[in-house]
Amino acid sequence: MKIQHNIAGIENLGEIDFQKRVFVVPWEERIFGIHVAMMGLSSHLDTDSVPDYSLSSVPTNFDSTWTWGHLRMGAEGLNPFDYFKFRYYEKWLGGISGFFIEEGYITEEELDAKTALYLEDGNLDNAPLPNKPEPAIDEQVMKYLREGDSPQREVNVTPKFAVGDKIRVKSIPPTEHTRLPGNLQGKTGTIDVAYPAPYTYFFTTTDGLGEPMPVYNVKFESTELWGEMAEPNNVYYNDLFETYLEAA
Amino acid sequence: MTEYDGFSYDRDREIYSAARVRALESLLIEKGIISGETVDKVLNYFETEMGPFNGAKIVAKAWTDPEFKAKLLEDCNAAISDIGLPVGMSGAEGEHMKIVENTAEVHNIVICTLCSCYPWPTLGLPPYWFKDPTFRARAAREPRAVLTEFGVELPEETTISLWDSSAQIRWFVLPQRPEGTEGMSEAELAALITPEAMMGVALVPSPSA
Repeated sequence: MKIQHNIAGIENLGEIDFQKRVFVVPWEERIFGIHVAMMGLSSHLDTDSVPDYSLSSVPTNFDSTWTWGHLRMGAEGLNPFDYFKFRYYEKWLGGISGFFIEEGYITEEELDAKTALYLEDGNLDNAPLPNKPEPAIDEQVMKYLREGDSPQREVNVTPKFAVGDKIRVKSIPPTEHTRLPGNLQGKTGTIDVAYPAPYTYFFTTTDGLGEPMPVYNVKFESTELWGEMAEPNNVYYNDLFETYLEAA
Repeated sequence: MTEYDGFSYDRDREIYSAARVRALESLLIEKGIISGETVDKVLNYFETEMGPFNGAKIVAKAWTDPEFKAKLLEDCNAAISDIGLPVGMSGAEGEHMKIVENTAEVHNIVICTLCSCYPWPTLGLPPYWFKDPTFRARAAREPRAVLTEFGVELPEETTISLWDSSAQIRWFVLPQRPEGTEGMSEAELAALITPEAMMGVALVPSPSA
């Protein structure tokens, strides 16, 4: 069981810090921007996306597929104790730099060497980034931000369930990646909304995601999820892919 | 404002991350993966075009225009596509958005227990509290206790509806219009509406408070 898939309801966490900033230090903005750029230059946008992207005409040397699913899979693959030890964007930095090394765009040695260079006194503040304009790359990334990457697909799929149906969440052990919170496995709920078009996923997962399928908004009573630990007058809804559900 | 002391990492760790990110970005630029300006342009987009100021305008309009509010609740993306907001309101992390309305009977909160899914075009980028595993874990089971901690006390009879975002739909909240706002313009109303209120962890304050 991966704790990253199962954090709902963990006890003894103490008070929540109500930190309203998006980024708490400037370097976090940069790794965020890099992740967005990777998604905007992802090669799957050419072949499997709704808007009309033409990556082959963008002068980038990035020719991999990179999506939210890839980023999350990296975080879900961490040792669970590291998952909680590393701050949110530290996990992004680890996952993204690891990806560029694995895919052969950079080597660990050159990343380490350049990091050491910037660590030398004063270099961080004084050394500018390389001056390499390439407006066509920027335009593609901005186009991606404005047009997005909708996972809805116009294919004919017959939904298994209808509004009002009682369902049970399957007990499927996920492996590398899932979009099912673990605490919902085996629980019964009611279909509240059947979304009108099927949704695909970034890649296939061992627990059944991949091909376009119906998604439902499912309503769960809090007592079903938490028993006597549930608060009164509290209902939980989640959007779940059809592959996670069976008739109750 | 206090720093989250869970992030009181030693200065060396913070500087190391800064150096490593700078090294990574520098290498990516040198190798022609991104340009020297790509990251700045992305950040500028979220500073100037896509942020909670969009959501605040949408909420203020819903409060003053019942026809718009009905359209918004029925089909959020369609309703916000032609009200003078920036191009891209159905773009990345906003392709499929839904808004839920707070009433005297029902108070809505949005969470993402698996990660940090957030409606970028309407609310911009998620604040740290929303991404915090402590919030994600606790809000799932004890939203009322979490609200109390955030300074929101709701009547016992109010139902709390929790909306988790495990698929691709991005949720946000239409908060209740507070007392003492009669006759205010949409711009004046929008100035009261925070991203926290649009995720359900705060109420919109009455200006007379």
